[in-house]
Amino acid sequence: MSAVLVVHGGAWAIPDELAKASVDGVKAAARKGFVVLRDDGRALEAVEAAVKALEDNMVFNAGHGATLNVDGEVELDAIIMDGRTLNCGAVSSVKNIPNPVSLARAVMEKTSHVMLTGRGANLFAESVGFSTVTTHALVSEFERKEWECHKTYAAGVLEDFNTQWTHDTVGAVAVDSSGNVACATSTGGIRNKMVGRVGDSSIIGCGAYADNLSGAVSCTGHGESILKVTLAKLILSHVEQGKSVADASDLALQYMGERVQGAGGVITVSPSGKWAATFTTQRMAWAAAENDVLWSGLDPNERKKENLN
Amino acid sequence: MLPVVVVHGGAGHIPKERAENSTSGVCSAVRLGYLVLQEGGSSMDAVVEAVVQLENSPYFNAGCGSVLNVKGEVEMDAIVMDGKTLDSGAVSAVRNIANPIQLARLVMDKTSHACLTAEGASKFARSMGVPEVPQESLITEYSRMRWKKNLAPEANPVECQMGKMGTVGAVAVDKEGNVACATSTGGMLNKMEGRVGDTPCIGSGGYADNLSGAVSTTGHGETIMKVMLARLILFHMEQGQSAEAASDLGLAYMKSRLGGLGGVVTVDPRGNWAARFSSQQMSWAAAQNDTLHYGLYTGEHFRRSIRDTH
Repeated sequence: MSAVLVVHGGAWAIPDELAKASVDGVKAAARKGFVVLRDDGRALEAVEAAVKALEDNMVFNAGHGATLNVDGEVELDAIIMDGRTLNCGAVSSVKNIPNPVSLARAVMEKTSHVMLTGRGANLFAESVGFSTVTTHALVSEFERKEWECHKTYAAGVLEDFNTQWTHDTVGAVAVDSSGNVACATSTGGIRNKMVGRVGDSSIIGCGAYADNLSGAVSCTGHGESILKVTLAKLILSHVEQGKSVADASDLALQYMGERVQGAGGVITVSPSGKWAATFTTQRMAWAAAENDVLWSGLDPNERKKENLN
Repeated sequence: MLPVVVVHGGAGHIPKERAENSTSGVCSAVRLGYLVLQEGGSSMDAVVEAVVQLENSPYFNAGCGSVLNVKGEVEMDAIVMDGKTLDSGAVSAVRNIANPIQLARLVMDKTSHACLTAEGASKFARSMGVPEVPQESLITEYSRMRWKKNLAPEANPVECQMGKMGTVGAVAVDKEGNVACATSTGGMLNKMEGRVGDTPCIGSGGYADNLSGAVSTTGHGETIMKVMLARLILFHMEQGQSAEAASDLGLAYMKSRLGGLGGVVTVDPRGNWAARFSSQQMSWAAAQNDTLHYGLYTGEHFRRSIRDTH
């Protein structure tokens, strides 16, 4: 069975000046994750490697490059899930950690809990030897300017999203050569969010879900809408009812639009290696690696193919 | 059939000396919730009212009476969800407030967010004028005794927690057919600081949708999260299962796939309800057609008039 890895860099109205950097970023992350799979690594390790690459890239709203909350602080959410065991680790509202996805994995592997939040998550990070960085190091010039601009106009979060000028989550899903699936999602959340706001990304079944019996999903988009419909689990319930990963993803996104007027994007894989990358926002940067091919896209229905080597 | 309200006071093993208080606690909470519904209140008002009562009672692991984390502190989680709009509000790891369920409702009603955590949740509480209470007022002799017992090197908090997992919750359908759910907890005995369980996670600790029904869960939080128990039960109901059959299917799946135990209260929009559990006990009560239903052990189902207070 051939391994597959799919990544996204967030579903939103990506401005033209960020378009190339976004697509380059997801392609580089997909390559990084796929190398792990090609070396017989597990799906879990591959999604962590891919998401770390996105967190380290200033272009994306996760790790370095995250958005600021209303107080000008960076608070990060992340989740990782292993479809073989349903084991899961998540952190919410954690500060000064460059790779929250790795901290989420540590929660999964080194504690009896699934989720740690706030100061408790930071204390745990310290206890297992995670190094911290200053908030300043995580903030891009772009985000600092955006924050100042928002502060001046004091715009509401939902209004911001409706103008499509938000900046979003990153994620990855993978299936390895043994047929194990995994997913990971990481974000800085909504720009100008309230202190302590937790969105969908770190909530199991909303921002992500993985189960070897159905598949793995990572979501992006308007967090509060994704929460309302538990988007990741909804997609996999359609898969369990016999839908293809592509149809299940489209159906659930359409439902979210109709029922709660929310837009978003998802990447989905099945244990047999079928995959989908789809969105109802203007754009979503995504890339998928399988066999010797690297697929990528940004605009609706765009699907570029290149040789992975 | 309408209105109806069902509450639980946690699934697990309830020590004999606490069983009576546990049963009378859920019965008085369900009465108050039912009164709200009879007077034409919404299902959301009713579930919050019932859960506030349970939070205020020292016999349940929520609000006053919450279990302590490893440092001997109280950190609480809560969620509410409105089945009409799918709006929800949640707080996680919040401290020094008496009624986290009311704060969760404020998150839903007064912010554009669905969940606030830790310090941010406290900050929001202050901005809303929610009074801060000293931690001591939330701690009981019993919770401190159990915390100390579990600090011993040979103690096994997970094992002990499986014994008593006293999260509280309620589901209701009002006269208009709107469903709602509310769940509140002090979490898991001797948990790490900042640990968030299933309770504030939408779809795990609770879910409500007018198209299918409402569920509030209790049990081993980490296992409930992994199967998204509340949402799982409602998926079964969407596929045509009754509230009772769907609840049993969800609990059986959690047990067979991951070995986890728990309990749920479930309603559908027509007023059919269920209180089911795979643990030894769960204190629960329901009110419908002026009848009070309640039980504690598997198969137990007492009935009496809602007006009979003895």
